[in-house]
Amino acid sequence: MSEAKSAIDSFLDHKAETGMQCGNYSIDIPELKPGQQYRFHFDMTACVGCHCCEVACNEQNNNPADVKWRRVGEMETGEFPDVLQLFNSMSCNHCVDPECLRGCPTNSYIKLDNGIVFHEDETCIGCQYCTWNCPYEVPVFHKERGIVTKCHMCVDKLEAGQTPACVQACPAGAISIEVVDTEEWIKNDMAKEGVAPHLPDISITKPTTRYTLPDIPEGGEIRPADEHILKPAHSELPLVFMTVLTQMSVGGFVALFLGELLHLFGLDLPAPNLWMVIAILLPAAIGLPLSALHLGRPGLAMTAMKNLKTSWLSREAAALGAYAGGVTVLAGLYALGVPEWLKLLVEVPIVALGVYGIYAQSMIYRIKARPAWDRKSTTLRFFGSGYLGFLLVAVILAMTGEARSVLALMAPMLMLGLYQMHLIYEETIFYKYLDKEHPLYYPLSRTKRLLEEHFGHLKKARLTSLALFAILLPMVAIVFAAANMGGVAAFILIVALMGATASELIGRYLFYVTVVPLGLAGNFFAGNQR
Amino acid sequence: MIGKIKEFLGFDIKEEKYALVDDPFFGKVAKEKAPDKWVRSTCGYCGVGCGLYIGVKNGDPVYVKGDPDHPVNRGTLCPKGLSEHEMVRAPSRLPGAMIKKDGKFEQVSWDEAFKKVSDTFKEVQAKYGKRSVAVISTGQLLTEEFYTLGKFVQLGLETNNYDGNTTLCMASAVMGYKQSFGSDGPPGCYEDFSHAEVIMLIGANIADNHPILKLHIARNKQVRGKKPTIIVVDPRHSKTANMADIYLPIKPRTDLAFINGLCYIIWEQGWMDEKFIKERTVGYKEFIKNIQKYPPQEVAHITGIDVKTLYEVARLYAGAEAAMSAWTMGVNQSAMGTDTVSAIVNLALMTGNLGKPGGSPMSITGQCNAMGTRESGFTSSIPGYRNFASAEDRREYANIVGVPEELVPTERGYAYPQIIEAIERGEIKALWVVATNPLVSYPDQNRLRKALEKLEILVVQDSFMSDTAELADVLFGAATWSEKTGVYTNSERRCNLAKKSVPNYKDSKSDFEIVVEFSKYFEGKYELLFNGWSKPEDAFEEWKRVSKGRLCDYSGMTYEKIEKLGGIQWPCNEEHPEGTPRLYYEGMKTWNEEGKPKFVFADWKPMEENICMSFPLILNTGRTVEQFHTRTKTGTIKILEDLAPEAWIELNPKDAEKLQVKSGDRISLSSPRGRVDDVVVRVTEAVREGTVFVPFHFNTQLVNKLTQSLFDPKSFEPNYKQTAIQLHSEKVPEGIKLKEEEIAGALGYQKQESAVEKILEKEKVGTV
Repeated sequence: MSEAKSAIDSFLDHKAETGMQCGNYSIDIPELKPGQQYRFHFDMTACVGCHCCEVACNEQNNNPADVKWRRVGEMETGEFPDVLQLFNSMSCNHCVDPECLRGCPTNSYIKLDNGIVFHEDETCIGCQYCTWNCPYEVPVFHKERGIVTKCHMCVDKLEAGQTPACVQACPAGAISIEVVDTEEWIKNDMAKEGVAPHLPDISITKPTTRYTLPDIPEGGEIRPADEHILKPAHSELPLVFMTVLTQMSVGGFVALFLGELLHLFGLDLPAPNLWMVIAILLPAAIGLPLSALHLGRPGLAMTAMKNLKTSWLSREAAALGAYAGGVTVLAGLYALGVPEWLKLLVEVPIVALGVYGIYAQSMIYRIKARPAWDRKSTTLRFFGSGYLGFLLVAVILAMTGEARSVLALMAPMLMLGLYQMHLIYEETIFYKYLDKEHPLYYPLSRTKRLLEEHFGHLKKARLTSLALFAILLPMVAIVFAAANMGGVAAFILIVALMGATASELIGRYLFYVTVVPLGLAGNFFAGNQR
Repeated sequence: MIGKIKEFLGFDIKEEKYALVDDPFFGKVAKEKAPDKWVRSTCGYCGVGCGLYIGVKNGDPVYVKGDPDHPVNRGTLCPKGLSEHEMVRAPSRLPGAMIKKDGKFEQVSWDEAFKKVSDTFKEVQAKYGKRSVAVISTGQLLTEEFYTLGKFVQLGLETNNYDGNTTLCMASAVMGYKQSFGSDGPPGCYEDFSHAEVIMLIGANIADNHPILKLHIARNKQVRGKKPTIIVVDPRHSKTANMADIYLPIKPRTDLAFINGLCYIIWEQGWMDEKFIKERTVGYKEFIKNIQKYPPQEVAHITGIDVKTLYEVARLYAGAEAAMSAWTMGVNQSAMGTDTVSAIVNLALMTGNLGKPGGSPMSITGQCNAMGTRESGFTSSIPGYRNFASAEDRREYANIVGVPEELVPTERGYAYPQIIEAIERGEIKALWVVATNPLVSYPDQNRLRKALEKLEILVVQDSFMSDTAELADVLFGAATWSEKTGVYTNSERRCNLAKKSVPNYKDSKSDFEIVVEFSKYFEGKYELLFNGWSKPEDAFEEWKRVSKGRLCDYSGMTYEKIEKLGGIQWPCNEEHPEGTPRLYYEGMKTWNEEGKPKFVFADWKPMEENICMSFPLILNTGRTVEQFHTRTKTGTIKILEDLAPEAWIELNPKDAEKLQVKSGDRISLSSPRGRVDDVVVRVTEAVREGTVFVPFHFNTQLVNKLTQSLFDPKSFEPNYKQTAIQLHSEKVPEGIKLKEEEIAGALGYQKQESAVEKILEKEKVGTV
């Protein structure tokens, strides 16, 4: 190292004399007092959109090109020659109230004493729920590592008095590290200085980044450079199957439970049998392990229940896990032939767990960062898919020669099926009359485009298949069941079950691929680089 | 197997690979690529000339860090510099010498390649004369290499047809400086950006092309206590225009009229620096007589900038304590480039902005060592800015290097475009291309390709496979940045040291070695020119003697001193042992007869190829920050490629509406010379209606198929920036239709029929 030493002994304390934090390898920042934290300041009037920060960040952290902790977005407003180009270089906003942290099922996020939102790699299972929850799309899944990674403000460097890579690299001095009094910030300054064009509502996570903005003419349209890039979201196939199958199972279990109840009250209906329990267990037993496949680290799936306190994902995993366990135990009881009251006693908590599990499952998607999901209809839809379970039980009934009781099941089943139809109609109307003044117009209108332009055919297929398999065929089956032609009814119901399951899977696939997350404006070619 | 299962289950998160470790110099660095050593060097991309450290691990470059002690960049680097190490071991590197056999390149021994090329060169020269061999070089080599190459070509191959791609880039600045000061050499320095009260950027998009200069502008407030006034003159609202306090959306190629107009106003209002003019300049009276043709109303009409704004800008510029003008390709790449450069100098002279902090005319160079090629001799000069035509210069040079005086060429050779034309005529039969890629960068590509096919031999010396290399008969695979030692001169005449830090890629040789070795295949030339030379420093020592007493004086420099001071700005001699920040300060003579800067008047002329009914839009070309030139280097770096993977066309919303396209759609462009397809549309208000912008970097959308063979008559620099074109979308394949009155309205000052229109008219008649 003699060559380097001959020039300068060590850079660690070296200052570049820029008068700014840029260029320096060491940084001077005041020590934190109670109630204070570190934050980024970004000067949009100084940024020239050169992407130095982006490249420096990846070089510092050895990240591959497709894992970017810092990105530079571009926007434009005005008319030639009175144009204003806006650049927004953003990494993590080290929020006061981070959604990534709240949703993380493994407690892998830590809000450090210095305010930095730190991601602990070792415990992360790669569920990527934080990548959905963060309204800025900051956490990014690192395929090679199987985990999520994110900006940590170069905390190791900062603690050693060294300048974060992005700050060091900016030739315009547009990025710097500051100290902020969080209470003061939220109360007084955040609404003025924490906002920038095309960024999500600050009330979601209370970001700490301070912006210095140019004079942006009021009322003018601000156009993101990546407006033309509209890509479907990840299809999450394991989750498509997992959600539909668990909902089918829980729906079936509710039917079974109701049957048990009615039977116990003395109605002349057949008692549920072992075959039904097995048929109900099967989709859950297939669906739940499937969900582990969407994890970056499937081997650690069981640790997803660590954060019952704040994470809906933990709650879902725990509830549905317990539910599946319960159904298995119940199957044992059925095989042993225990008295009916004992079965009912066991079934009560299982029903509760199942229903709560599906509720928790739906709440995973009720997040502000993904407006198309964050609607009441998501919860209703998830429960609505339970009609598949009713169909499933009906098939078993028809096959075991109980054609008459099929009729009793078909009424609630048809009701739920029609309700699914209604929800699709409601969605169509919602997007049809989507108001330009809607605060979430940009992401929602893009979901609309995805639904109509990219997946128009699939949406039609979903609607037609639902009408055919969830309404028409079951009605035909009722006729045959009433006519005591159990064999034909069973055959029709099997076809209906298979078709309706396919229809729900298509619907769920559309649910995943048409969501458009909030986030910063992107780059013309690379989009928002996620 | 177990490893794979473990990986699938996620038990290995590769913590080691992504951990940080402590480096004694730069603090935390990525563990996987923690360097064994850091080598201080200089960036090899553009002309800003940033100091940096190359991190080396196991003989490969793994890191680049900005040198915080370097006065140019103070620890910062642009995205290309930050990732520069990634291109050094790219798979597209040439492994050594190669010969094309049956249409495929085969690696051969250097001896075989040198023998084949020298035999062919000798054969061609015997048959068609010495000058039938030509060389087109670059701004990418080290000064030692340029000096060695130039010496070999001029005195060894005995041909003066030796130009570089610098003619596509800086030639107009060179000729402009020669007109005004009697010699090449940019007078200002980067420090001026921090000292100027007014900074006028003319045809310079520094945000994309030289972002590190923003650092010096950002420091201005710290140095002067308040922010400078930034004026950006550009027909396109570039990223740089965003920095402007005053943005002047000038009509394409009217900058000469604009500057003349400012000079008129300053004269009319008496805002000039009379003392400066009287004591330190010549030619003022004559200039004022000529400038009378440029009253504000006329200039407003030509440039599209209103009279009030012209007065305001003139007042600001003349009233400033120190004002500087910086320019790049918007000025240089024009058929009036040379004269526009002189006009910018006129404005500086009139307002006394020369040779003082913050006051200078300043050209910003595009390549790391375009300056070096200019200094060390090429088609228009012998080394040390010496003149072919001067017997005294020839004698002096011959004496220093110890060759017979008759060996030194007595007249300038062909400029780059003239070389191409001579190939077309069959006058030049052999071409040696060094570190440049004309098949992307030269205008009028279809014509160029046809011309190159006429050659008897095409030799390409480059570090990377390129479009031009693919066409070659023989390849000399050269070492690249970080594999060789020598000096680069940046835009502000700062001579920086670049050092070898890693072994050469495979069997490649440095350009210095290639030339010296190659000379041995020409009887007696090695002994005459390079006797005993083994390392670049041998060339540097001779170059110091050759440059002594000239404007680009290196005589006071050593490698150690350059490194110690973070580069030295020439002239560096006994009088200025630590270099000279600014030229032509009070008391410093210029190199013309008068010894003083000269006012040089030139008239503005309308565009040769204006828009017409068939080609109703003006195409402007340029660069983007992520890519460098023809992408042979940056195209190998994924993070840069992701951000700018292909060319795009910037289109005003009104034109997009006419073509019924939106952002993301793909369209075609055509000019009288060719057609480019599959260019993605970017609808933006950054361009005026009727004008479009396309970056030139991309061989996938080769925009230089459209540009014209139109050159500045003095500098031979191509007029890249204004080409009349038509656009073709899927819905409107015939393109945009102009109404007669629109032409008259937009370009009323030029009523004559376009030359192209006439040609097309003739062709039509011919075919009927």
